[in-house]
Amino acid sequence: MAAKLDLDDIQGLIARGYRNLPHARFTIFAAHDAAAGRALLSWLLPRVTPAGRFAGTSALHLAYTAAGLRRLGLAESVITGFAAQFIEGMTGPNRSRFLGDVGESDPRYWAWGGPQHPPVDGLILLYANSPEVLDARQAELATHLDGLAVRQVTVLDTLELGNNEPFGFHDGISQPVIQGLSKATGAARAGTPGGRVVPAGEFVLGYPNAYGQLTSRPLLQAADDPRRLLPRDPGGSGAADPGRNGCYLVMRQLEQDVDGFWRYAGHATRRPDGSDDPGARTALAAKMVGRWPSGAPLVETPDRDDPRLGDDNDFGYHRADPLGLACPAGAHIRRVNPRDSLDPRPGTEASLAVNDGHRLLRRGRSYGPGDGAPTTAGNGNHAERTAQGDVAPSRETGLHFICLVASLARQFEFVQHTWLNNPTFHGLYDDTDPLIGSRHLRGATFTVPARPARRRYRDLPQFVRTRGGAYFFLPGISALRYLEQLPAGVPAASLSPAMTR
Amino acid sequence: MPHQIGVTIRAPVAADRVAELRQWLAEAGKTGLGDAPFGFAGCRGVHFARFYLLEETADLAGRPIPASLVFMSEVDAPLRRHLAELAGVAREGIDQAFQHCTGYPGPGRGRRQRIAWLRRHRVRASAFYVNTVGRGVAQIRQEAELREALEDYLDRQDHIGRTAAEVRRELQDYVAGRADLAWAAKPPAPPSLLFRAREAVHMVAVPAVLLLSLPVLLPILLVWAVLLRIDERRDRPFTQRPARRHLEEVAGYEDFSTQNPFAVAGFVRPGRLRQLTFRAVLFLTDYGVRHIFNHDSLAGVKTIHFARWVPLDGWRRMTFASNYDGAVEAYNDDFINLIWWGLNATFSNGMDYPPTRWLFFGGAKLEEQFKNTIRCHQVAVPAWYAAYPELSADNIENNAQIRAGLRGEMGPAQAEHWLSLL
Repeated sequence: MAAKLDLDDIQGLIARGYRNLPHARFTIFAAHDAAAGRALLSWLLPRVTPAGRFAGTSALHLAYTAAGLRRLGLAESVITGFAAQFIEGMTGPNRSRFLGDVGESDPRYWAWGGPQHPPVDGLILLYANSPEVLDARQAELATHLDGLAVRQVTVLDTLELGNNEPFGFHDGISQPVIQGLSKATGAARAGTPGGRVVPAGEFVLGYPNAYGQLTSRPLLQAADDPRRLLPRDPGGSGAADPGRNGCYLVMRQLEQDVDGFWRYAGHATRRPDGSDDPGARTALAAKMVGRWPSGAPLVETPDRDDPRLGDDNDFGYHRADPLGLACPAGAHIRRVNPRDSLDPRPGTEASLAVNDGHRLLRRGRSYGPGDGAPTTAGNGNHAERTAQGDVAPSRETGLHFICLVASLARQFEFVQHTWLNNPTFHGLYDDTDPLIGSRHLRGATFTVPARPARRRYRDLPQFVRTRGGAYFFLPGISALRYLEQLPAGVPAASLSPAMTR
Repeated sequence: MPHQIGVTIRAPVAADRVAELRQWLAEAGKTGLGDAPFGFAGCRGVHFARFYLLEETADLAGRPIPASLVFMSEVDAPLRRHLAELAGVAREGIDQAFQHCTGYPGPGRGRRQRIAWLRRHRVRASAFYVNTVGRGVAQIRQEAELREALEDYLDRQDHIGRTAAEVRRELQDYVAGRADLAWAAKPPAPPSLLFRAREAVHMVAVPAVLLLSLPVLLPILLVWAVLLRIDERRDRPFTQRPARRHLEEVAGYEDFSTQNPFAVAGFVRPGRLRQLTFRAVLFLTDYGVRHIFNHDSLAGVKTIHFARWVPLDGWRRMTFASNYDGAVEAYNDDFINLIWWGLNATFSNGMDYPPTRWLFFGGAKLEEQFKNTIRCHQVAVPAWYAAYPELSADNIENNAQIRAGLRGEMGPAQAEHWLSLL
């Protein structure tokens, strides 16, 4: 079923997270009119980095919201072929309730992308190997945006890519391996929950997904693409396929209360005499995450951190730790990727196959004090320093969460609602994700299984709040070319959305 | 403990009052059905209740079907008591709802007329799934309280260095010392002897009759299979996608608590073959949910509290309704991954279902077609009551096991396992 990926057409962000380009800046923009939007696209198009071989010092990617596609002149009849959530956007009342963007995460309080803000057209992601290169490319971009009357809604700086996210934990260890990419060849060891190779269609439209089917996307009459800019529907309908080689990009600015997190962990683990117990504090934090700060999974080393296991991803839960005595069922990593603990028949291939349908390709970058400041080296020490109490309350820290998926509903939204923010996940009663879950109405408990009896932590504060976000589409490069030449105001006739075959 | 009953009452809405009813439903949903004018929270044995509107439509032959109001409740037996409460405690609310329907006994009419009218408009379900037969509202609430009491007790104690058996004994003593938890020492009573006897007879009689008629049935089945396969080859993919407004309306009533109401309605495919298949499948579904899937899981799906399949308009139409945990996306994924075969066998006899092969295969496995047809046929449930909205079916089962584990002797491993339920 594996189809050859068209790496020259797929944007490079799908194939790689740019570990070698540790500096990044994300520009959210809105064009005043179609002409400005198209002029920007024309300028950006030759600069977009494809997924093929890459050896550059910088990379650029481009994604659009539904409003942005409309602005470029894409007809409503075509836009309706995209996912309902993409069209609705992230901030409708039904979406906010579903995603847990309520209380202090309510879009009304967002810094960008909220209902009180002007609509967002798109997102330009710039990556560079040095701060100087990033600054130069960003300056060039800013000049063009100004010249083209395209507004920079916000420019999001990021911290130099280190191993750790702001809470102080090694992050980004477990990523799905995409079938058809070179990484998949080495990772295809059968049966290891960490090395699962997931069908490309889970992350790139126009290829078979985990069900062996093509996820729906808009299709055009071939006549609407007379220059044959677009790939053709691999389903064989002969239609032009503007979705092929693209995917949805979820972006959320997640503010992390690093001080609050470590303060809570410290407070909850004080000795009877009231003194701090740093070992217990780190152990509780690790229970919440499911990994030690080094990244070592609790399932492999339940009692102490072991940096040698810092990149270990080759484990399951069901056999090693069915009751969660090492890694609680409610721990962050056991929720976002339950591996082999799902029904039916936990511990089997059937369980892993269900899990495969809910994977996210994560491409987020941290932000916080020092971002955009070229001399700051990494972010790894912030949490430790905070824990030791020698960091003054600082300006906002967090994660510009980005994930790439083929299905917003079955992948991103499912994980967010059914796994992260579900108080009854895996037989629990009132526990949302201890690290990033919403505590708006319920979910402020964290249960740590132990012998002879569990320990419950009650009234957990909320450590993460949403500060901005939008659903984007990251088109294939030929689809960008198609969008660039769209005549303004001439609607294209779409076929019915591609059906799964 | 009582067994559970699914009550469905359906009545045509007066043509000039549909808009008004729609508005009333939205308002009633906002107020909730737990308190006045319904007061379901105060009624005995109401697990869930809902109202929804089936809009005016025409059947496949073009014959008009007027709009109708559907009331559903999942209650502990006896039915008599529930109907009396509908015409008693909940009378004001029931009046407000059904006064939009033609022929409802209006003001001045007595309780008896109301009950008679409700009975007359009762529609029987072909199959009714109960997560765990015999577990009443009172038991569910009590066992939730028991668990909370035990959890709170554990929170207050330091049990480091003690064995599971010791902690269990302590918890047993704690419960024994609380007069308000005295009930927990005994197992819940089973449903009535009459009910159990009836179910036992049904459990044996159905397979016995089927077995005896096998010589006749077998050739019929073979012919049927061929005809069905020929019919299936005419199936076309379901290419429609739910309209945005419809999605927004339906989703607007979802995901406020752990549980959700679910309802779909659609037409049964025309022709004798499909009508017969549908009835036969529902007959077997009824058997399955009564005798096989009657404790904790519907063929592997553990998130459904109640579900029912109700034929409407002389089997021309059908509505399926359930109360389940989590979101509709996860619910559909469970259908696709766990009970695709059951979904296919039933709903492929309805219009707009993704193509199946040999009744059981294909269908729901065509993920997006399946999810789209579900969403397209979903009916908004504007007014819904849940007696224990924050408890998942999994929680309820766990609570029951906690109670059960208070009794009897246990070895160290058993005691450890029991403590892990807390």
